[in-house]
Amino acid sequence: MATVKLTNVKKIYDGNVVAVHEFNLDIADKEFVVFVGPSGCGKSTTLRMVAGLEDISEGTVEIDGVVVNDLQPRDRGVSMVFQNYALYPHLTVYENMAFPLRLLKGDKKMSNDEIYERVTWAAKVLGITQYLTRKPKALSGGQRQRVAIGRAMVRDSKVFLMDEPLSNLDAKLRNQMRAEIILLRKKINTTFIYVTHDQTEAMTLGDRIVIMKDGFIMQVGTPTEVFDKPDNLFVAEFIGAPKMNTFKCNLVKDGDKYSVTPFGATIPVDGEKGELLAKKGIPSQEIILGVRPEHVAIAKQAGPGTIKTTILVNEMMGFEYHLHVLTEDETELIVRIPTLNLTEAERAELVTGKPLYITFEGKAMHFFDVNNETNLLYHKDAE
Amino acid sequence: MAKKPSMGLKASRAIGNTLGHILLVIISVVWILPFIFIVLQSFRVENTAQVSYIIPQKWGFDNYIYLFSADCNFIQWYFNTFIVALVVAVLQTVMVLMMAYTLSRFRFKSRKTLMNIMLILGMFPGFLTMVVLYQVLKMMNLTQTNAIGGLILVYVASSGMGYYVCKGFFDTIPKSLDEAARVDGATRFQIFYKIIMPLAKPIIIYTVLTAFMGPWGDFIFARYIAFGEPSGYNVAVGLWSWLSQDQIAKHYTHFCSGGVLVAIPVITLFMFLQKYYVEGVTGGAVKG
Repeated sequence: MATVKLTNVKKIYDGNVVAVHEFNLDIADKEFVVFVGPSGCGKSTTLRMVAGLEDISEGTVEIDGVVVNDLQPRDRGVSMVFQNYALYPHLTVYENMAFPLRLLKGDKKMSNDEIYERVTWAAKVLGITQYLTRKPKALSGGQRQRVAIGRAMVRDSKVFLMDEPLSNLDAKLRNQMRAEIILLRKKINTTFIYVTHDQTEAMTLGDRIVIMKDGFIMQVGTPTEVFDKPDNLFVAEFIGAPKMNTFKCNLVKDGDKYSVTPFGATIPVDGEKGELLAKKGIPSQEIILGVRPEHVAIAKQAGPGTIKTTILVNEMMGFEYHLHVLTEDETELIVRIPTLNLTEAERAELVTGKPLYITFEGKAMHFFDVNNETNLLYHKDAE
Repeated sequence: MAKKPSMGLKASRAIGNTLGHILLVIISVVWILPFIFIVLQSFRVENTAQVSYIIPQKWGFDNYIYLFSADCNFIQWYFNTFIVALVVAVLQTVMVLMMAYTLSRFRFKSRKTLMNIMLILGMFPGFLTMVVLYQVLKMMNLTQTNAIGGLILVYVASSGMGYYVCKGFFDTIPKSLDEAARVDGATRFQIFYKIIMPLAKPIIIYTVLTAFMGPWGDFIFARYIAFGEPSGYNVAVGLWSWLSQDQIAKHYTHFCSGGVLVAIPVITLFMFLQKYYVEGVTGGAVKG
């Protein structure tokens, strides 16, 4: 069992710069939690506080029920993989991976045979057996990262910490390593805390995602939760690529029916979302409406429920188009259209300057408060 | 037609190269002449006084043999210098490395102030403190016949201040290596000797060399602390004593042969460690 509990954890630099505010999180045994957020949001700082590489200014970090605030990193039972690999350049791959084992003392002290067994096991799992005698400088980025993971794997650590481990790799290798981390997780089956600024990594790897901004937790939830029910505008825009379209419009209540009025159109809020609005008794008001680019559809013809736009840029991604369109009041929106269902003639119409009528359904809509930018339907305090 | 300008370029480059090389040869000759002069004079056996010609009339090893004879203090001086230089090289290297690592890796109160104070103090010539140091060492009975102990103390005590180049080198070793080692279970000291030391080989060699060279060639402190007691001299002071007005006629060629022997260990060290020395000097500024 290896749970991690952060209670009111705060990091204050130089007495006044607060990097992390009141961080509260319970991580279950064998859970894979991802901290995600833009640069400077405090995600790495929080991870480093768990590792013991940063002092905890206030609050407590518990690993397996033991408060570790005053323990050295080596006494916390954690392993860590760094963004820049942090391999020891003067040691071979084998010695790099054996390094933490050679430092074990007392009951845990390992013989050379045991060390050999552990290191070759990890090397086999990671597919780096043939590189064991090489020095790190003779390895490619992906191989180096595998060695770094191997070095963290050989120990029986309670918690596996990863600080942006894929950020230094090229896009193709990153995808490949991401899949390998998913497989690796099944093999070593321990508690993971993974830090990234890449929302795709967060979505694909995490059991739960912690989205952070300016040292605050914006939302904690499963990938589905944060995607479908973003707690606030920040989460809505951060998760998903390209980012969610958000714009101000009016939410109009007419009896039990709701509609929104973006850019002069009137689109009914039908289905579950409409029912939820009615159940919560949300009155007519100005809101920020969010619609993901993949949930915007091209309307065959103009109508009361369509928005007239002009195509600004058409990005051909291969399997889909990313259309950047301008509404009549010059708001830029993004529309994702799969290429597969379009005829040649329809594709020919998707060029800069051509008009395009778009629309979306009620179930695709996200409603945010204009003042505090929280989700009108799913924000925790609203429930 | 097309070839002409390139020929012109070639010619002007050749002229430039020739002039450059001539200048370099002149500078080299000016630079190396005193050394050749000393070596030649050390083999001159027709007399021991200063002469106005360079090439000896009679060649031999008499001057060297004299240095090792019983009525000459040279071996004692050489031994004094070697002991001081060796002990200082070891102790100073340890001090400098620890100081540099501490200032590179640890963040503590007044760290910047301390570094600034050392920077300013380092701007004063060391011998300004000589009079005071002599009094202190005299109280501790570390002058004249005990000058070796006094010299070691003086050199080592202030050695931490020469941490700059070394700190610059340590600063280029990524901090994440220290952090990875800490998470892997290493203590601060294990990180220092298992990770940092092997990576800092060039700068260690640079530090050892400079630490050795200081006392090896020192004159002012060594002379003042020995204070006229020949058994407390180092080679520089001892050899210098042969150049006084009443001694020079007797010892001029001995001085030259002594000078050659002084240069041998240093030249040998540099020849073997040159590669690391250059890496050390440039490493601090560029990368680790």
